[in-house]
Amino acid sequence: MSEERDWTTHRQAKAAKLSAVSNKLSGKFAKTSDAKIILEGLIASGDKVVLEGDNQKQASFLSKALASVDPGKVHDLHMIMSSISRPEHLDIFEDGIASKMDFSFAGPQSTRVSQMIADGTLQVGDIHTYLELYARLFVDLIPNVVLVAADKVDKDGNLYTGYNTEETPVIVEAAAFHDGIVIVQANEVVDKLPRVDIPADWIDVIIPADEPYQLEPLFTRDPQNITELQILMGMMAIRGIYEKHNVQSVNHGVGFNTAAIELLLPTYGQQLGLKGKIVPNWEVNPTPTLIPAIESGWVQSIHSFGGEVGMEQYIAARPDVFFVGKDGTMRSNRAFGQVAGQYALDMFVGSTLQIDQYGNSSTVTNGRLSGFGGAPNMGSNPSGRRHSTPAWQSLRADDDPLGKGQKLVVQMVETFGSNKRPVFVDSLDAVEVRKEAKLQNVPIMIYSEDTTHIVTEEGIAYLYKTDSMAERQAAIEAIAGVTPVGLRSNPAVVKDLRERGIVAFPEDLGVHRNQATRSLLAARNMEDLVNWSKGLYNPPAKFRSWS
Amino acid sequence: MNSLWIFPGQGGQSAGMLKPVDAALRQHVEHLLNLKLLDSDEGYRDSVQLQVSIALQQVAQVNAMQAAGRKPHLVAGHSLGVFAAAYAIGSLQQDDLFRVVKRRAELMQGAYPDGYGMGVIVGLTRAEVEALVAQVNDPAHPVFASNQNAEDQTALSGELVAIDRVVALAKQAGAVLARRLKVPVPSHSPLMAEVGTRLAAVLADVTLAKPNGIYLTNYSGRAVRQVPPVREDLSNNLVHPVYFEAMMSVACDYAPDSIVNFSPGRPFRKVLGQKFGDLHQINLDQMSVSDAVFLLNKWERGTY
Repeated sequence: MSEERDWTTHRQAKAAKLSAVSNKLSGKFAKTSDAKIILEGLIASGDKVVLEGDNQKQASFLSKALASVDPGKVHDLHMIMSSISRPEHLDIFEDGIASKMDFSFAGPQSTRVSQMIADGTLQVGDIHTYLELYARLFVDLIPNVVLVAADKVDKDGNLYTGYNTEETPVIVEAAAFHDGIVIVQANEVVDKLPRVDIPADWIDVIIPADEPYQLEPLFTRDPQNITELQILMGMMAIRGIYEKHNVQSVNHGVGFNTAAIELLLPTYGQQLGLKGKIVPNWEVNPTPTLIPAIESGWVQSIHSFGGEVGMEQYIAARPDVFFVGKDGTMRSNRAFGQVAGQYALDMFVGSTLQIDQYGNSSTVTNGRLSGFGGAPNMGSNPSGRRHSTPAWQSLRADDDPLGKGQKLVVQMVETFGSNKRPVFVDSLDAVEVRKEAKLQNVPIMIYSEDTTHIVTEEGIAYLYKTDSMAERQAAIEAIAGVTPVGLRSNPAVVKDLRERGIVAFPEDLGVHRNQATRSLLAARNMEDLVNWSKGLYNPPAKFRSWS
Repeated sequence: MNSLWIFPGQGGQSAGMLKPVDAALRQHVEHLLNLKLLDSDEGYRDSVQLQVSIALQQVAQVNAMQAAGRKPHLVAGHSLGVFAAAYAIGSLQQDDLFRVVKRRAELMQGAYPDGYGMGVIVGLTRAEVEALVAQVNDPAHPVFASNQNAEDQTALSGELVAIDRVVALAKQAGAVLARRLKVPVPSHSPLMAEVGTRLAAVLADVTLAKPNGIYLTNYSGRAVRQVPPVREDLSNNLVHPVYFEAMMSVACDYAPDSIVNFSPGRPFRKVLGQKFGDLHQINLDQMSVSDAVFLLNKWERGTY
């Protein structure tokens, strides 16, 4: 017989840490000014630490406190963060507080991430899709400490996370049930919460923040900036994809291309008689450009990953459409949203910075290791999917008795980017970045095999219809304009591809270029959106051009 | 406010530019360095006159901004501009700055009497320019790719004959623009190694403080908060390319809400537009410090 094993080492380690700071705690509550001491007491060197940074909501008080700890006491942390968004998220690596990072998205810090990897200051575990990162919190990246943000807490320590619940529940769950320590920053301590989003029982320490957590209106697009080229592409997409495939459920990326589509549904979509026939169900953040489509009855349901600044009152007044608690405020959930986006949607529509000649796309470019946000989960075909919808079935190859459908994954790009660089390239910058950053895999956002359609100002390539890589390349060349890839296009081949429905130009779809004007948009500026919302939408100051 | 302050190097100077400078400060500097500043076109043909005068103009603007309660969160100097940048972020002291700048100018003046200088190529990537440079560069005719001011704008530093050869190759390769610059020294290249060593010896005796914000380095295009990389930049930036494009890329990650361009001139208009779009910018070459402060205060209040 071997000696009896101690099965509660994690629990004992947690209890020892908490008792070491007990003189700084009143119940679960610590003083704002003690944040640094609390973190130095509860985080041990080498710990796996999740710091909540969604792409909108940031645990900014706790991230500043973490950046202020003494690296002599706390060092070489292994950080797990879905989004690297704030300068201090990287300062902790320069100062030796942390040494390794597993993450999903680094858009706002992508230059510095790239530089710090090159300098050896930051060691990357891996770049993940959101779901992968959350999943690993329950398998091989179980956190010792998690640092999250709440809007309000009550005296017992229950949390209200409200509109911006985002990824707080999944992070807290991973720690609370495996003897990790859950530390919360709170904007406000109140007697009574609007509702309980996360129970007090799962929480160890609450620190009132010195100022509300950082929140960015990342999904707001001012219709004023939508171009006529984007309107043309939107019209092609509505006819050539939404209508053609009878798409019922969709996620839109954050670009102006998809904002244009949202604003064309009530006008151009109406003219085509598509109302009630396409896209009633959405998994998308509550972007203000959806307001006209909601108000004119196109949209039946919207579930969201996070909230959107300024949309609170509007959402509260439309509970038939949004997910809203009994208290009347919205609840979001990033993890469930990504599950829905990957498994339950007919279609993902996004954009990118580069597409290679084979159809692989990436937003990683030279010197900028951005990661990918939600696109890779939603822009991939879940090959284990079982349930059938008309859109999914419409992509089924007819020569296989055991065949099945496929998710529509659509990339919408202008052939040249805003930097006047070609979007279509022979080889992605990401191939070089892989070498520089010593990554195992090339950081591709959406793989060619998952990409079913590409839309440019030239036309649509129906990649799912191609039956060889050579044909796929020819279809991409046909719509790649005067980029180096597009210049290889052969007119005879293009004619054949058009006849076989693998490539469609606007005229093939019955789309009239001269109809693509800004007057076709249901809202042409922010004020129009406010009017559509009957005054319920309250744009952040930076989007107000009127007073 | 989360402001980025940018300090250019030589190029935008003009006779009379020291007129707005506080008289007591100018007198103090002239006395400190035992140098009468001429502030004339003829004066500005002399490297010491030129560099000290630009530094004086920049320090006077920094002092006036700070007296009005404005301070930077991020600073970026270009070449000579690194000294005022380090001063503005609280790392380098005022008198040390003027002593070091004068010494730097003297060392540069004696380094390459003739036959050397700089050029510029627009419209090719740095990798493309480096490939052309590799075809030409040899010990007898040295030439190097130097400053990166924008993604498609790379400077050359070296022997003039070699620069002309790279310029010719660049034109064949489809460069939009390729030519020599009126700069008499092969700055920001390994040819300045000896000047760098001697300047480093001068800097070794200068006390530097930890920056009160973010300092963007010329030599590596990095955002730093500690003394050693600032010291390296002040000592050795003449030996390395100025990675200005990288400096501005990394500055974007700090999401500044305004940019203050210090005098002289306004050389970075294009790259700042590419990197920062329509972010609020102040150009001290075109407005007084009091007007600039008025605008910054107004933007901070959120009234437009």
